[in-house]
Amino acid sequence: MYEINRRQAMVAMGAFLALAACSTGGESGEKKTGDDFSANRDGAMSDYAIGKQFKATTPVSFTILYNNHPFYPIKNDWLFWSELTKRTNVTLEPSVVPLSDYENKRSLLIGAGDAPMIIPKTYPGQETPFVASGAILPVSDYLDLMPNFKDKVAKWNLQPDLDTLRQADGRFYVLPGLHEDYWVDYTLVVRIDILEKLGLEIPQTLDDVHNMLRAMKKEYPDSYPFSDRWSNPTPGGALLNQILGLAYGAHGGWGYLNGITWDYNAQKFAYTGAMEQYKQMLQFLHTLVEEKLLDPESFTQQDDQAIQKLVSGKSFVISGNAQTLVNEYRPPLEKANPKARLAKIPLPIGPLGAVKSDGTSTRLENGIMISKKARDSKNFVAMMQFIDWLWYSDEGQVFAKWGVEGTTYTRDASGKFQLAEDVDFVGLNPGAPKHLQKDFGFSNGVFAYGGSTELLQSTFSDEEIEFQKVMNARKALPPAPPHPLTDEEREQASLWETPLKDHAMSNTLSFILGKRSFDEWDAYVQELEAKNMSAYINLVNNAYERYKKEHG
Amino acid sequence: MVTVDNTRGQRVFRVVNTIILTLVVIVTVYPFVNIVARSLSDEFAIRAGKVNLLPVGFTFRTYEFVASDPTFWINYRNTVVYTVVATAIAMFMTTCYAYVLSKKHLKGRKFLIGIAVFTMFFSGGLIPNYILISSLGFKDSIWAIVLPNAISVFNLLVMKAFFEGLPSELEEAAAIDGMNTYGILLRIVLPLSKAVLATMVLFYAVSFWNSWFAAFLYMSQSDLFPVTVYLRNLIAGATTGTSVGADATDMTVATNIKAVTMVLTVIPILVVYPFVQRYFVKGVMLGAVKG
Amino acid sequence: MSTTRTIDASPDTGGPQRARPDPARAKPRTGRTWRQALRRDWQLYSLAILPLLFFLIFRYLPMIGNVIAFRKFEPGGSPLGEEWVGLRYVRMFLNDPSFWKVFANTVIIGALTLLFCFPAPIVLALLINELRGRRVKRFVQSVSYLPHFLSMVVVAGLVMEMLSVDGPVNQLLRAAGNDPIAFLQEPGWFRTIYVSSEMWQTVGWGTIIYLAALTTIDEQLYEAARIDGASRWRQIWHVTLPGIRPTAITLLILNIGTFMAVGFEKILLLYNPLTYPTADVISTYLYRMGIVSNSFSYAAAIGLFEALIGLALVMSANLISRRTVGTSLW
Repeated sequence: MYEINRRQAMVAMGAFLALAACSTGGESGEKKTGDDFSANRDGAMSDYAIGKQFKATTPVSFTILYNNHPFYPIKNDWLFWSELTKRTNVTLEPSVVPLSDYENKRSLLIGAGDAPMIIPKTYPGQETPFVASGAILPVSDYLDLMPNFKDKVAKWNLQPDLDTLRQADGRFYVLPGLHEDYWVDYTLVVRIDILEKLGLEIPQTLDDVHNMLRAMKKEYPDSYPFSDRWSNPTPGGALLNQILGLAYGAHGGWGYLNGITWDYNAQKFAYTGAMEQYKQMLQFLHTLVEEKLLDPESFTQQDDQAIQKLVSGKSFVISGNAQTLVNEYRPPLEKANPKARLAKIPLPIGPLGAVKSDGTSTRLENGIMISKKARDSKNFVAMMQFIDWLWYSDEGQVFAKWGVEGTTYTRDASGKFQLAEDVDFVGLNPGAPKHLQKDFGFSNGVFAYGGSTELLQSTFSDEEIEFQKVMNARKALPPAPPHPLTDEEREQASLWETPLKDHAMSNTLSFILGKRSFDEWDAYVQELEAKNMSAYINLVNNAYERYKKEHG
Repeated sequence: MVTVDNTRGQRVFRVVNTIILTLVVIVTVYPFVNIVARSLSDEFAIRAGKVNLLPVGFTFRTYEFVASDPTFWINYRNTVVYTVVATAIAMFMTTCYAYVLSKKHLKGRKFLIGIAVFTMFFSGGLIPNYILISSLGFKDSIWAIVLPNAISVFNLLVMKAFFEGLPSELEEAAAIDGMNTYGILLRIVLPLSKAVLATMVLFYAVSFWNSWFAAFLYMSQSDLFPVTVYLRNLIAGATTGTSVGADATDMTVATNIKAVTMVLTVIPILVVYPFVQRYFVKGVMLGAVKG
Repeated sequence: MSTTRTIDASPDTGGPQRARPDPARAKPRTGRTWRQALRRDWQLYSLAILPLLFFLIFRYLPMIGNVIAFRKFEPGGSPLGEEWVGLRYVRMFLNDPSFWKVFANTVIIGALTLLFCFPAPIVLALLINELRGRRVKRFVQSVSYLPHFLSMVVVAGLVMEMLSVDGPVNQLLRAAGNDPIAFLQEPGWFRTIYVSSEMWQTVGWGTIIYLAALTTIDEQLYEAARIDGASRWRQIWHVTLPGIRPTAITLLILNIGTFMAVGFEKILLLYNPLTYPTADVISTYLYRMGIVSNSFSYAAAIGLFEALIGLALVMSANLISRRTVGTSLW
């Protein structure tokens, strides 16, 4: 049996190698760093510049990986596609991937060397695994083709943010979305009518929140005043990250990531799960659990269960953002209890002071990777100009977000945007027969993000703009410095990261829920130590020092 | 079954059996009733946690809404086509091979079984599979879905066990009459194996009907997706999408829409099953042959 | 050994089928040469050509990709890896204490699943088989496989709702005067929850094979048993069970071979950091490792290791089964 098997395997091996060679063929040598474009200028404009409408000199088409959102599934007859071709002479050929598994397919396509030219919806950090093999372009080498991108970086002073993207070679590989200002969206959503009934002010600090919850508990002893959501699959997703994480300067939940946090005082990186700030955050939550103010199920229940508790009056406080407030909380609550009123409260201030950002936050959004093979395309320059126009120019951003003036929106003399009467979007024109995303393809998460604060807020309601005003007045701490790992370091680090993170996450919940006493905190840190915490942090700090020395 | 056992033990057994099976029925049917109720309910009622066994705020609107999406129907049609073609191919391949493997006198039989069993444990990774399919030019075509899964080793071995259990006299008699192997398989063995064929058709059809991964990997246009990919995007999209936590402007799909899509995708299998089930009726086979 | 032979051998029935040639006698003839075998059975072999092509192209060809367990693979680089690294990735996971913890969890959960989920469909199929009234039977059958069609996300959601502190299970506990239990936060409960939900999902669907197998049992055997005065219990013991034995053994061997492959998606949806100590299995651990680093090579090494275990398990199960009950896969 085995003999024949082996012979068979040899034959198959040969066949496979042939296949593999076919699909990865065309391996070219050293890449030139962005000077010689003579063979890649087809369709490009020679005089492309800021404020200039991009239009390819000949019709061109680019392949693009498309993240298909179930709320507005892709349609080929969207005005977006036809108008885009009309304005830019570019036809996009989308390779459609369901949103649910976008990351898996992207990783597979790049891994198999079959990725489309334009790969959007890549969050900073997700590009790192593909750097070593050279499957994606170091886009920082080609910024000269992108005047709008460079302009926005300079105008909004985004250089420090961009530096966080740099890899060990000093270049970056993803074109991020750019925001003019920090954008705080997640916070606590509170039953305002209960506050009024109890004669309480809107809480400003975490202590105020604590007192508010106590007062609620006193009035409604059978309730858990605070029952939270966003705990599957990451417990305390938003609560430990955007809400308390920002208040303490140590991010858990969605923000835990690799578990490293920039310590401003020590000017080096520390392991988040062992930081004093992180401990304080857990202690605060533990107090809430102990006083029966915070529902212990907050960290394991599904979103629907948390919302049901809010709607049925079993809880009064929940994490949320502008979108969930309007779409998921208010409508059912209004039906269940017409007198109930909900609102986002300004992010409660904690030990870190009144800040809107810390080392973990940047003003970058998810962005675009470019497949290596695009560099060899004769339309490469045109493609970069096209990307620059659609994603980074003012006109392109307005087009992607609002659509076509006179058809989907109008603008008054002061420049204020107004949706067309028969078009709805985020509940701005309830009852309108058409939808900006579903029927026209604008405000599509693949094409429309980032931009000026004015553009961002152009779709906000008045109460949301009020919230943003309060938040924008707060201080911004600079982002953490770059600390790119080399290829071997990354492989080592990834082996340490997961066990460390698992242990920290597991104990985070144990401490909060009182399954483990804070007397054992030192023992817990020792356990992390046994899982190579110091070695890991040293690796990161060495990378930081090395990068500082090499790239200033 | 003419004799009725009337001993006390029999009666006790029957009562206990009825109770157990009633419990099984209740426990299994509950979630399904719940989903049907959700599909017919008002979204707000679901959010408030009011919907349990009966619809609250009864409405057909969600069904109309889902049915009005052309992509849903295109994907639905794809699912039907993929399932039918894939099941036909799979039945052909599996029957042939299982029949061969069931012949104990065949030289090299162990090796042939080994080839199949080995693949239950060792498989290529995602990337080699993807490269293979795209090199064969199967991307964005039905072949990418129907060919790579044409034999399930599990089904193959179950079918082989059935074939081995068939009495060999009839086959031997036919062989003496000069019928060749193909004729024996087609005219003697298959008619005797209706129960196993029905089971296999059901197993294959359901697995192809429910499969989404192959389509997700190899299809890049939404017009080619089966309805499972559509459904998965609705159901899982909400959870994985928000877990990234950055897309605040993205919205989730209402729970009643998910319920409707789910009901609509399960129904066909429920409709088909009773027809298949006919073949499970006790004692048709050997009794008839022997009689 | 075949089904009918087993039935022949059962003591209550003097079967009329003794005249059949004993398959065991075929043994001495295996000494034939390939040429003789081909001449005699070429039609049978021809039936195997397409299936063999299928296995070769779609199963064995991609397996070559497994060399990345011993070569460093970089996403987007060559699919066969960049350079030989020998047993580096194997050593990596063998030296990783977390790996051995999830390995143990995998074995425990897999064994529990096998212990409970393998016999359950047999019992249920027998119970259904004992029902009188075709319509009732059909109804129970049709209902029992419904859970098979529910998406895992839905199943996980249901489990969470059932077990939440306000859920029905805890309401029962409260009614009985106990304190409610936050089941999904207790590592001690996870395996129970996993196995029972798994059973709930698979038991009905699993009966289909056995119900089909039951149809192959000769009605005359029951009649003979009844004439001999065998009670129903004895009929089940001596006729029904031997009749479905080859099917049951085949399934048992297959289940033993695959019991390391415990339900990834369900665990991913049901576990949380608090229950990692009991719930984390190889596949979920790899998933968390993989998401961070795209470490395909590491995953391939562990995959090969798992496959070797599976193959060893299935071969020993097969051997034991052949020695003890005379039924085997090959």
